[in-house]
Amino acid sequence: MKNRLLAIAVAGAVALVGVAGAQAQEKIVLGSHLPLTGKLARVGTGMHEGITVAVDMFNRENDGKYTVELITIDDETSPAKAVAAVEKLAGEGVVALTGGYGSNIIGPASEAANKAGLVYITSGGVAPELSKRGHKGFFRINNTEGYSKAMMGLLKEMGVKKVSILYNNKEATTDLAKTVEKDLSDQGIEVVLHAFDGGTSDFKPLVNKVKLQDKPDAIGMVAYENDYVGILKAGSVMKPDVKAVVGVWSLATSKMNEEFHDLVQTVYGTSMLPFPAEFTSPEAKEFAETYQKLHGTEPDYLGQFGYVQTKLLLEAIVRAQEAGTLGSGGLAEELRGADANTLIGEVKFDENGDNPLFSHRMGQHQGDKVVLVWPKDAATGEMIFPATPWSQ
Amino acid sequence: MFELTLQAIYSGVLTGGYYALVALGLALVFGTMKIINLAHGELVLLSAYIAYTAESQFGLNPIAAIPFALVLVGIVAVAVYLLVGRIKRDRELNSLILTFGVGIILTNFVLLVWAADIHSTTTTWFQEAVVVGDVLFSSRSEILFFLVGVALVFATWWWLSRTWYGRAIRAVSSNRDAAMLMGVNPRQTEILSFVVASVLATVAGIAIYTGQVIQPSLGHALTIKAFIITVLAGMGSIPGVLLGAVLIGVIEALTVTYWSSALQEFTGMVLFLVVLLVRPQGLFGFGARRG
Repeated sequence: MKNRLLAIAVAGAVALVGVAGAQAQEKIVLGSHLPLTGKLARVGTGMHEGITVAVDMFNRENDGKYTVELITIDDETSPAKAVAAVEKLAGEGVVALTGGYGSNIIGPASEAANKAGLVYITSGGVAPELSKRGHKGFFRINNTEGYSKAMMGLLKEMGVKKVSILYNNKEATTDLAKTVEKDLSDQGIEVVLHAFDGGTSDFKPLVNKVKLQDKPDAIGMVAYENDYVGILKAGSVMKPDVKAVVGVWSLATSKMNEEFHDLVQTVYGTSMLPFPAEFTSPEAKEFAETYQKLHGTEPDYLGQFGYVQTKLLLEAIVRAQEAGTLGSGGLAEELRGADANTLIGEVKFDENGDNPLFSHRMGQHQGDKVVLVWPKDAATGEMIFPATPWSQ
Repeated sequence: MFELTLQAIYSGVLTGGYYALVALGLALVFGTMKIINLAHGELVLLSAYIAYTAESQFGLNPIAAIPFALVLVGIVAVAVYLLVGRIKRDRELNSLILTFGVGIILTNFVLLVWAADIHSTTTTWFQEAVVVGDVLFSSRSEILFFLVGVALVFATWWWLSRTWYGRAIRAVSSNRDAAMLMGVNPRQTEILSFVVASVLATVAGIAIYTGQVIQPSLGHALTIKAFIITVLAGMGSIPGVLLGAVLIGVIEALTVTYWSSALQEFTGMVLFLVVLLVRPQGLFGFGARRG
């Protein structure tokens, strides 16, 4: 009888320890909505890869204490579906949201998050209006000004006097084009803007107009991948007499270099990393290794952004949880109070959730590589100037 | 100014050739069978991705992908017809809804198999510039497929008007029962129509891949363009497809040159609406008989 009672007591004690052990590992449910299908599927997938890397690295670093469950919903590049995704994720009890691509999608999606009282962090929407709505829970690690600084800095260093900027008439690209125009004009550089519809497939009439009427020193492109390829193809046929072709996002990437090698030679675009990527810090090396392990490919800037925004969010969640303020709006305050050194440089959010310290870098396709050429302190090589794909 | 105008018209005419290639298959099915195949753009897209696979995986010239694409696109087209053929009531409306759904399935199939990356041919021959008199610029691909488009328009017109099968298709479209009494098998005839449309879609897909950028979401845009051109040309008018396509191409190019490239699609749509207001039967279609 005594032995039986002792056995029951021991079993009970072991069970209690087991339960206590399990309870010590807190589960954080994180929500994400991204365009995994539709027009922006490629960029959405890239960002998603970075987010999963952040979650994986966090779970390994916090094994035994915290574990993150990521729930991702495909918003199909549709604003309405993004809103529905946010509402569904809110209903499933996520702690916060990371993701979103496209200012026209992030706008309504983050409105829904704000209504649900959820923090929303992104790197996929640079439209200025996004951070002027008074949403205390909205954060983004990049913005239009950072892209404009990079493009303007490069063009100024080239010494060009006149630039023709061809831009997609979507909201984010229009905002960036107009910001670049203002910044360049303030520097005494003449700018001619040409908006085009996103459905444009033949850019020859537009490039011909630039060639015969504008006669600029450089062509700027504020657009998306398919637009860049269309413009460069038209340029290769029309051969406008310019000294440089400069784009922004999604251009100075390994994918563009591999897929459209001859077409992008000497073309510039924004890029946080050279290609092949060179990772020197321990965090960067681990990021690259985890990315390769999970996705079988080298990370690009999209993955880098997805990783940084999610890492910042998770660290803030842990701080808020440990301060006991996670459930009472403390997460936004933790994010706003953070001053972090990340893979994209220093990140510190202002009262609007913007990161005014963000400044991009410019890379140039040179052979099989993407070489960082601006700013000088981040450069991994010299720019080849003057040069265009059709002058090679 | 003169050079700008000339280049705009030249580019517009060549672009019209592409548009005509894309629209021809839809026009054939719509004009002869009164079926609006909203999956037509996706058939074109499928052919383009087959060309991409042939080039990137096997190092083949995209033109060499035509036989493989013909078979695969043909099978899918016949499958679409077999689904449409099961519709017994309100065929025109229900085929529209059904083929719209098929289009979504095909788009997502393309996305699953080939992912969302954009692609275009790497065969430099197609991309090399052809300069006429130092004033007119185009790529080899544009000229080649403009000529192919013109040839196919007239080949299709000749086939419909001069061959037994072409007459059979028109007979079935006009009066299915009467055609049956005349010894025409309506089902076989309609399948043939879809197969011919798939051949046209295959060539259009190769043209798109060699001249432009392809991505999974392109199919829908191609269908809309094809539909506009088909209606603009007039139901049943195959040569009208070429003229309507060229008209749209030139209007778009002139808009870009003299107004704003952001309004390119807008002016194309305005032209479409104006033509329909003035001539509801389309530019070359026949008005309904009265009495």
